[in-house]
Amino acid sequence: MFRAIPYRRIGLTFLVGPISFLTVAISATAQDYIDVEAERRSPQTQTQTQTQSRPAATVTAPAVSYGVGTAPSAVTTRSLPPPAAAAAGDNLGGLFNQVQQLQQEVMRLNGLVEQQSYEIRTLKEQSLERYMDIDRRLASGSTSVAPPIGSTGGGASPNKPSTGALDSSGSATEVAEQPGEGEAYRAAYALVRGQEFDQAVSAFTAFLERFPAGRYAPNAHYWLGELYLVTDPADPEASRQAFMLLLNQYPTNAKIPDALYKLGRVHFMKGNRDRSREFLNRVIREYPDSSAARLAGDFLDQNL
Amino acid sequence: MFRLIVLSLALLAPLAQAQLVIEITQGVDDPTPVAVVPFAWEGAGNAPVDMAQVVQEDFERSGQFSPVNRADMLGFPSREEEVFYRDWRAIASEYVLIGRASGEGDQLSLRYELYDVLRQARIAEGSVAGPAGEARMLAHRVSDAVYEKLTGIPGAFATRLIYVSVTRNPTGKDYYRLTLADSDGARPIVLLESREPIMSPSWAPDGKQVAYVSFETGRPAIFRQVLATGEREQLTNFRGLNSSPAWSPDGNSMAMVLSKDGSPDIYLMDMATRRLTRVTSHYAIDTEPSWMPDGRSFLFTSDRGGRPQIYRYDLRSGLTERVTFEGNYNARARVAQDGRNVVLVHQREGEFQIAIHDLVSNRLQVLTNTDLDESPSIAPNGSMVLYATKFGDRGILSAVSVDGGVKFRLPARNGDVREPAWSPYMQF
Repeated sequence: MFRAIPYRRIGLTFLVGPISFLTVAISATAQDYIDVEAERRSPQTQTQTQTQSRPAATVTAPAVSYGVGTAPSAVTTRSLPPPAAAAAGDNLGGLFNQVQQLQQEVMRLNGLVEQQSYEIRTLKEQSLERYMDIDRRLASGSTSVAPPIGSTGGGASPNKPSTGALDSSGSATEVAEQPGEGEAYRAAYALVRGQEFDQAVSAFTAFLERFPAGRYAPNAHYWLGELYLVTDPADPEASRQAFMLLLNQYPTNAKIPDALYKLGRVHFMKGNRDRSREFLNRVIREYPDSSAARLAGDFLDQNL
Repeated sequence: MFRLIVLSLALLAPLAQAQLVIEITQGVDDPTPVAVVPFAWEGAGNAPVDMAQVVQEDFERSGQFSPVNRADMLGFPSREEEVFYRDWRAIASEYVLIGRASGEGDQLSLRYELYDVLRQARIAEGSVAGPAGEARMLAHRVSDAVYEKLTGIPGAFATRLIYVSVTRNPTGKDYYRLTLADSDGARPIVLLESREPIMSPSWAPDGKQVAYVSFETGRPAIFRQVLATGEREQLTNFRGLNSSPAWSPDGNSMAMVLSKDGSPDIYLMDMATRRLTRVTSHYAIDTEPSWMPDGRSFLFTSDRGGRPQIYRYDLRSGLTERVTFEGNYNARARVAQDGRNVVLVHQREGEFQIAIHDLVSNRLQVLTNTDLDESPSIAPNGSMVLYATKFGDRGILSAVSVDGGVKFRLPARNGDVREPAWSPYMQF
């Protein structure tokens, strides 16, 4: 009905001039919407004049007003208060306009409240999900890699490459730690644990500038990828680039399955379902035993 | 007065018809090649309809299959012993459908068999039977069965459409026709012809009746019409709007929009007692109800938030919640049978396009890239969306698959076509 009269373009637009959200009346659809709007108003119009006008005329007004060719009658009904009520009519007309304005205003506010409560709800859900995600990763990593750096004492569960910790499995291409690198990384990582995500982004970025080929560079890339998803506002594109860097420069790194899974999610966030599916399927194909593969499977089932 | 003609299926008077023609505009990247061999005819005389052709066109229209050209076939087998797999491998066909039809009196029966060329095995067989006049529908039922075998999704070829066509009359009032056709646009039958607008056609859940709005009395009124007999009944005659009839899934009540008490609100009419219950009550416009398949709630469009958006009304709790939040305009929702996908009209960058909203993930995906799209209607198997759009300066019907991958147009040979409604599954 928002396009109630699709077949005719009738000259009703002048009726609805004052209503702001109807000014988009360029397309046929919007046009039709207006017709309904006119209709919506006509019964109200009617009550305004009902006391004076002859019932027969009043009754026909709404039907003819929206579109079978006699549209102007609605206008007539509205714009000509009966003479006997002329004095009162002015006041009534004023009140009527005020009520209209108030209704429009309430509707606008109503929409705003709906939109904002939806956004708040979504944000809450997202931040809880992200927090729990990080928490899970920290929990699974912390037992074996409590000090995130240094303790390469193996133990991180093979199924769950810990995010926060270093690559404890010690990749073949292990690079020696550069002076000051450990402290810088630990400092940045502390910010993550303290949930100072924006500052953590700066810290890891600075870390990578200082130690672009450092021992912990892959971890820093991974963390940046994660962090760009939890900053406010999230930056999926920056996140994607960070994960892609990790993927391209450290293809054998233990965090690749997680990075692939995250890339799937990032592409999903960006609305690219095909790419998302591609990455998720790749984790499942190439790292079938990883927990990332399980997560990817779940995500595919639920969303794609 | 010759302004209104009601027709029933019994009198199949083909008036000036808006016959639809199908043009496929986009299919999947790698459609599966299938050979539909012309069915052998074992009855007297000639076969009434080339049923294999009907099946072949169904597959073509699905976008997921590329039927093999008949001229390329090395033989026309109709029995298992006549199927030579190497012949079909040679023309790269993955599946072969054969069949033989026979007729007795006005009854027709068709036996079909489906072979997998790679596995060299028969993977499906079956038979359909019915009146000879329904030969096309029998062929569609074969398509449904084969489609389900090959894709895992039930087909929706043996279904029908209703739509409104408008023939412009430069010297007077336009002609409006409510037309019923098969899902492929064939066999159009005019159900109602009027010089006044006809709108919002919708199906009863059993597919035996339709409801619509007609202006024949000088103002809009909701009618229902029995397809088989042409019997019709005026359900409403209220002052103001009478629009958007929508039968509940159990068929016991009908949601509709009336403005008799002020602004347009949604009412439920009990179909047994004709008693009306007002369901929504708001000074904003509430319109376009669409039932959830469980019948416990319905979606509707409202501008109570300043802009048209989709809301959901729960009949048991009486609570209304907003469903769509993306964009400034979401309207005319139709829920798929899975109760999860909702097709609607979404405004993006000033253009009105068909989008699909997932009620579980709350994500909205735009399916079309045309402008001025309206009136989406989803197939009963949830695979395709039919909608009205503009092509050139004409109103035509278009279809798009729910993943956006397959598109085709159904332009009418003449006049404008709009407001398609895809039938539920039909009982045979």
